[in-house]
Amino acid sequence: MIGNFFASIGAFVLGLIEAFFAGLSIAGRTFRGVFHPRGRARGEVLAQMYQIGNRSLLFVTVTLGALGMVLVFQVCLQINKITGDQSQVGPEFIRGMVHAFVPILTAMMLATRVGAGIAAELGSMTVTEQVDALRMTGVDPVDYLIVPRFLASIIMTLVLGIYATVIVVVAGALMAHTAFDVNYAVFFVFEKVTWGDLGVGLTKLAVHGGAIPIVSGYCGLSTTGGSEGVGTATTRAVINSSLTVIILDFVISAIGLMTVQAGV
Amino acid sequence: MIRCDGLGLTLSHRPVLNDLSWELAPGSVWGIIGPPASGKSVLAKTLCGLFTPQQGTLHVDGVEMTRLPEPERVTVRRKMGMLFQNNALFDFLRVWENVAFPLARQDPSLSREALAARAGERLRAVGLAGSEEKWPSELSGGMKKRVGIARATICNAPVLIYDEPTAGLDPVTTSKIYDLLTDLRTRHASTVIAISSDIPALRRFVDHILFLHQGQVRYRGPEAGLEACEDPVVYQFVRGLGEGPL
Ligand SMILES: Nc1ncnc2c1ncn2[C@@H]1O[C@H](COP(=O)(O)OP(=O)(O)OP(=O)(O)O)[C@@H](O)[C@H]1O
Ligand SMILES: [Mg+2]
Repeated sequence: MIGNFFASIGAFVLGLIEAFFAGLSIAGRTFRGVFHPRGRARGEVLAQMYQIGNRSLLFVTVTLGALGMVLVFQVCLQINKITGDQSQVGPEFIRGMVHAFVPILTAMMLATRVGAGIAAELGSMTVTEQVDALRMTGVDPVDYLIVPRFLASIIMTLVLGIYATVIVVVAGALMAHTAFDVNYAVFFVFEKVTWGDLGVGLTKLAVHGGAIPIVSGYCGLSTTGGSEGVGTATTRAVINSSLTVIILDFVISAIGLMTVQAGV
Repeated sequence: MIRCDGLGLTLSHRPVLNDLSWELAPGSVWGIIGPPASGKSVLAKTLCGLFTPQQGTLHVDGVEMTRLPEPERVTVRRKMGMLFQNNALFDFLRVWENVAFPLARQDPSLSREALAARAGERLRAVGLAGSEEKWPSELSGGMKKRVGIARATICNAPVLIYDEPTAGLDPVTTSKIYDLLTDLRTRHASTVIAISSDIPALRRFVDHILFLHQGQVRYRGPEAGLEACEDPVVYQFVRGLGEGPL
């Protein structure tokens, strides 16, 4: 009984380690594939960019718009209780959004939308033997399926991240102005945002954007079983890419604070 | 052409192929039969290098496949065409693009028009003229099978593997498909492996039979000798008896 328990924990940990190295190998093959475009389908990156944008634009707008309003409302409410000086809300809010909040929120949203989409697509291709058929004609599934999604996701995460920053800041300003009479000129102050903050924010967006298709693509390609397996792969993709994004975000934040953002 | 020696393959901790030895002469036509889940499809994929066996060796046209890294297996796979059991048509490509796909990979210099012409020709041969622009999801089961056959044979590969070419088809279509396969074979003198549960139709097409049961060979030899095989599993399966070890 107890032996069984430890055996299953052992098997779980071994499985985790195995998956980690398999994921790393897919990441390596993806990077190589970017620089050796061996017969990738023409226009595939653009098509994938459209897919990602299409899947996420409304979702990002609504979620981040609402979030910006709620955050600013809460902050102003608290400040009103203490000092009543609302002049620093805008600049600090904008800085926090740029280097911390927007990258992780955008990436988490894409991890669910885009990650699930990629895993479901590649998973059903795996169980219907389409991936075998690709390999049969000498096509590497990583080159053909993951690399275009990887490139498209990096580009679109950057684009959506920048767009999300605009949305969240405008929504925050609207809330501050209507509910607390904060002047737009006082809110829209970008001086607090350093080049370091901007660099960290953009790096996070690019790294997260690249990680999602690798992790979910791996989940899709390792699908076993029938349509049930596709369901499991999709769930796994969402959980694993969200976790990966959180870990990467933590690592980049730490590196950023020790280097470009030191002393700010 | 193809030689397996003591092949053993384990998938998800379960043995699927067991000490399997087999030799196919160039130009021979083999049928693989056996109960469900006996490892027929896995064997077919192993021959193409889609699975890597843990034991034994596999030679295709003199090249040892099992230790070959994936990129180098491609040159060997070029010599093979495969119809998958689930057809495995690419659902993101139109019918003619599906058929032309292996050809485009083999010869990247071919223009789109040349590819379309070759695919159209092959589709006519399988009786699907006019379906070029359809999507795979718009086809019936039998039509998908025929598109799969067209794709498997478009490169005129010297080895052709058909996994269940007639599953779910009526007797008339079945015999039409076997006529088509016979025609393709005689024209290109290819080595053919066909997997099927429709044993009478399959036996009319092949000249050798490999019988698999739980990943092990139970019979391997001329088609005519199958009746005389005394293995109880083969005996029961070939005669379709309700009583027996299966
Ligand atoms: N990718 C895989 N991973 C793990 N096990 C597999 C895989 N593919 C097949 N198997 C297992 O291998 C065994 C043989 O499967 P295979 O598909 O070769 O059977 P088959 O003889 O073709 O049966 P059928 O006549 O139903 O097509 C089955 O028990 C199956 O569960
Ligand atoms: Mg099968």
